[in-house]
Amino acid sequence: MSSRALPRLLQTPAVVLLLIWMLVPLGMTLFFSFIRYVLASLNRPEWTSPSFSNWRGFGNYGFVLDSKDFWLAVNNSLFIVGSILFLTVALGVMIAVLINKAFPGQGIVRVLLISPFFIMPAVNAVLWINMILDPVLGLNGLAVGGINSVIVDLKDAPLIGWFFSLWPQLEPISFRSSQNSAYAVIMMVTWQWTPFAVLIFMTSLQSEDEQQKEAAILDGASLWSQFRFLTLPHLGRPMAIVVMIQAIFHLSLYAEIEIVSRGNGNKNLPYLIGEFANNNIGAASATGIFAVILANIVAIFLLRAVGKTLME
Amino acid sequence: MGRIVLENVVKNFGETQVIPPLNLTIKDGEFAVFVGPSGCGKSTLLRLIAGLEDTTAGKVVIDDQDVTEVSPSKRGLAMVFQSYALYPHMTVRKNIAFPMRMAGMDEAEQNKRIEAAATALNLTDYLDRKPGQLSGGQRQRVAIGRAIVREPSAFLFDEPLSNLDAALRVGMRLEISEMHKRMKTTMVYVTHDQVEAMTMADKIVVLQAGVIEQVGSPLDLYHAPRNVFVAGFIGSPKMNLLEGPEAKKHKAKTIGIRPEHIEVSTKSKKGAWKGTVGVAEHLGSDTFIHIHGIEGCDPLTVRAAGDVAVKHGDTVYLTPDPKLIHKFDDEGLRIS
Repeated sequence: MSSRALPRLLQTPAVVLLLIWMLVPLGMTLFFSFIRYVLASLNRPEWTSPSFSNWRGFGNYGFVLDSKDFWLAVNNSLFIVGSILFLTVALGVMIAVLINKAFPGQGIVRVLLISPFFIMPAVNAVLWINMILDPVLGLNGLAVGGINSVIVDLKDAPLIGWFFSLWPQLEPISFRSSQNSAYAVIMMVTWQWTPFAVLIFMTSLQSEDEQQKEAAILDGASLWSQFRFLTLPHLGRPMAIVVMIQAIFHLSLYAEIEIVSRGNGNKNLPYLIGEFANNNIGAASATGIFAVILANIVAIFLLRAVGKTLME
Repeated sequence: MGRIVLENVVKNFGETQVIPPLNLTIKDGEFAVFVGPSGCGKSTLLRLIAGLEDTTAGKVVIDDQDVTEVSPSKRGLAMVFQSYALYPHMTVRKNIAFPMRMAGMDEAEQNKRIEAAATALNLTDYLDRKPGQLSGGQRQRVAIGRAIVREPSAFLFDEPLSNLDAALRVGMRLEISEMHKRMKTTMVYVTHDQVEAMTMADKIVVLQAGVIEQVGSPLDLYHAPRNVFVAGFIGSPKMNLLEGPEAKKHKAKTIGIRPEHIEVSTKSKKGAWKGTVGVAEHLGSDTFIHIHGIEGCDPLTVRAAGDVAVKHGDTVYLTPDPKLIHKFDDEGLRIS
């Protein structure tokens, strides 16, 4: 046996296991996406079991592309992921910088800041949509109602009453509606994932070189310049990590979308797959392949963009 | 211009006073070195001058202007840090340009100064590299370049050579000295290495526990140390300090004799000290002999010129030069 054969042989089980792990699900998805395969059909009972005799070629892909929700789902996936990434990174940097300086109660504040991350996604969604965003019983409805009643009172006030009498009655926003459900999802996921960004940025800020800052102070850099030219580049790498990990997680959001609006006007690809999978496994598999392609495009795009602008 | 005056400067960290009231004047164009053991407050003093630390009391005056409340960047000083403190994601060019960019200087002037600094510091070929791709010595040069382009009234160096290896340190030491001779700008240099202090300084400030033990030219400190601490700190190898009967003969609590002021002989001599060789370090140009068995100082070090053929266990006779014996009283102060 040559000197290389033995290490290769010893690696084989792990490599084979990993390949099976990856390739079997992918292969089955590919196979299902090319055949007619449904869970129940009274007219065509032969389609209810996967078989090559039900071959449909790219028919499932055509069916998915033509379905009215596909492009909505793709756009929505990107919109939701992009918005969450932008908000969590921006908020994360701001909060991390804010709590980086020592102050009394720092430990408790940090624990409180991290705590949203420990809540289950479904619970998070239920809490937000019912207790905060509900237009009648949630904070949203109560706040708008409160403002309205204050305005009504002020209309009778002397001198300034005429000004408030011009004000319209405010309406609470309905976040379950098809126009707004995506924003509700973005809000709740941002709330939950900002702590993750804060945590990573916070640890990174602690490793920032103090002498560099002092040198910058002597060089006449303002606080903003220190942030812009020292802190922000220092956070480049952790930002890339936060963006990559969150992109992977948020492309597969499901619970929040289900709970907010049951996909009404606000589907993403995983949700669309779920809808197809109620019966049409073939179409669900084809959508799954589209999701894989989308995820790869996003990953490559992000790696390039993040790598170029921040890691240099 | 670059005249720095400290008037009754005090620094407290919480309850502890690290610098008791201290007065010091550094003249324009002078190379002043703060030297002392670690924790003696020399870096704190430098940071007080730079404005990176606030004074608890007292005044910092630069060029007859009270700058105690002036922000660090407005004091017209440039500082070179021990860790170089380069901005890691910027190229050498951008690092050097940074202070000028912050001051809003125009591009043409910036480039002119960068070119001049790069030529002076041999950095022309490295302008487009990142600090991570440079060696320690090159990084130190970039840090100096970043200080030069600001054309400050004084340079502050905070142990700039301690992260370099021994050979580079000697080279950079010469470069900084030469830079000072050329530019004639005030420089304040902090080090714990007395060799650096002796070789570079116009004026050495020896500090211990925040207190100035002595201020003077290197040779003043060498020939007339004000107290036992300065005597032991300045000079390499260290001065031998003897207590007991030998010191009593000179009517002193402690006497000090430098290793190079002792004559060593293997033949018996009248009035000489007798001892046994512990270790003899043969350097070729010199021989450092560490001798045991002399009362009041163990081991006693002798520096003999050239190669002296002694080895472990040999008996030797030592004759100190009586004119060069330093005498100190009960409080450790020099008796002259």
